[in-house]
Amino acid sequence: MTSNQLSMTLDDMDDQPYTVDELEDAHYTKENAHVINITAPPKMRIVPPLNFCPVEQKLYRSGQPSKINFEFLRELKLNSIVWLASEDPIDEFIEFTNNENINLHFAGINPDGGDTNPWDGLNETSILQALSIMTDQSNYPILVCCGMGRHRTGTVIGCLRRLQGWNLASVSEEYRRFTGSRGGRILVELLIEAFDKNSVVVNPEIAPKWLTRS
Amino acid sequence: MNPLSILQLALSTHFNSFNSFKMTQPQYVPPLNFSLVEDSIYRSGHPMPINFPFLETLNLQTVIYLGDKTDNLEYYEFLSQRGINFIYIPMKSSSEPFTMNDPHAIHQALKIILNSKNHPVLIHSNKGKHRVGVLVGIMRKLLQGWSITGIFTEYDKFAGGKGDSDVEFIESFEPRGLIVDKSNLPSFVRLG
Repeated sequence: MTSNQLSMTLDDMDDQPYTVDELEDAHYTKENAHVINITAPPKMRIVPPLNFCPVEQKLYRSGQPSKINFEFLRELKLNSIVWLASEDPIDEFIEFTNNENINLHFAGINPDGGDTNPWDGLNETSILQALSIMTDQSNYPILVCCGMGRHRTGTVIGCLRRLQGWNLASVSEEYRRFTGSRGGRILVELLIEAFDKNSVVVNPEIAPKWLTRS
Repeated sequence: MNPLSILQLALSTHFNSFNSFKMTQPQYVPPLNFSLVEDSIYRSGHPMPINFPFLETLNLQTVIYLGDKTDNLEYYEFLSQRGINFIYIPMKSSSEPFTMNDPHAIHQALKIILNSKNHPVLIHSNKGKHRVGVLVGIMRKLLQGWSITGIFTEYDKFAGGKGDSDVEFIESFEPRGLIVDKSNLPSFVRLG
């Protein structure tokens, strides 16, 4: 062993102060190759995007990811991203989706054109467009996101919950979990309540299983 | 679009759905603080009879209860009728003064979660805030390598601003003898 290798081994040992556990670990891995002793977190930390949360199997929600979140996003092996803000995402994020071959869907753009303010709610066309992507299993894994991951994302996830047959109180509870200290917007909750779930056609042949098993 | 026109749009669709009210599918009520943690891992507060139809849609294999109440007979009956494996891990509320989180209980729960043969699994406490939050926080740190900041904001979403000693516990937790079968590790686990 060269002195260089030796110093690396010593460094590694410094990370794990519990030499007794290490001995046990060595014992177990020698005796049974199929078991593992988990002693410490992975060395490389990953950073979830703002307001990140899994919604259903292979379906995630968040605010706009930035560079520090890309390593985290790679772990999700995304197929599609549904972008709900009325303005374009930052360039490095668009570049990331290109490099990773992720389909970036712009669902929040106002189809009527004209001025759209970032603080306006989503219109029905946008909601239906987002849901039509989410009701097709071939688009999964999917990340649904907007600027902060609060209101626009919350609207679409809320309508999805209605589609799943959730009661409104639980939908609102989930929405408010992500709205931060200023709380929920009454218009978002009204939009979710008024959402006509019969306006979405769920094809059981292509829809994810968790959507059709109820 | 101004707020008033959104309101009008909302109201107009509202009347449509009201007309077709009979067509809607049955309503499901998820338990308090319910959420997906990872594929096939769910978290929540203590389920009540109103939540049973919803729980059936999850096709649960295992339920882990971190708590201190043992008299919910209707619930145990529901679980055993559906063939769901119920694992009770006694854990006192750390919001009581002079009560520390119990590392042993966390180890027990982690070992069950780390065997994908037990999935889908629901982890719940009484309110789905602190005890479940600690377990999920330690999962995020130890098994997935999330940044501590990301873990604390997730904890806080469910705990709502309380539980300072819990986040200290998550940050300082060190596993002892967490020995598990490699072949059944769930796919969300990152090692090394």
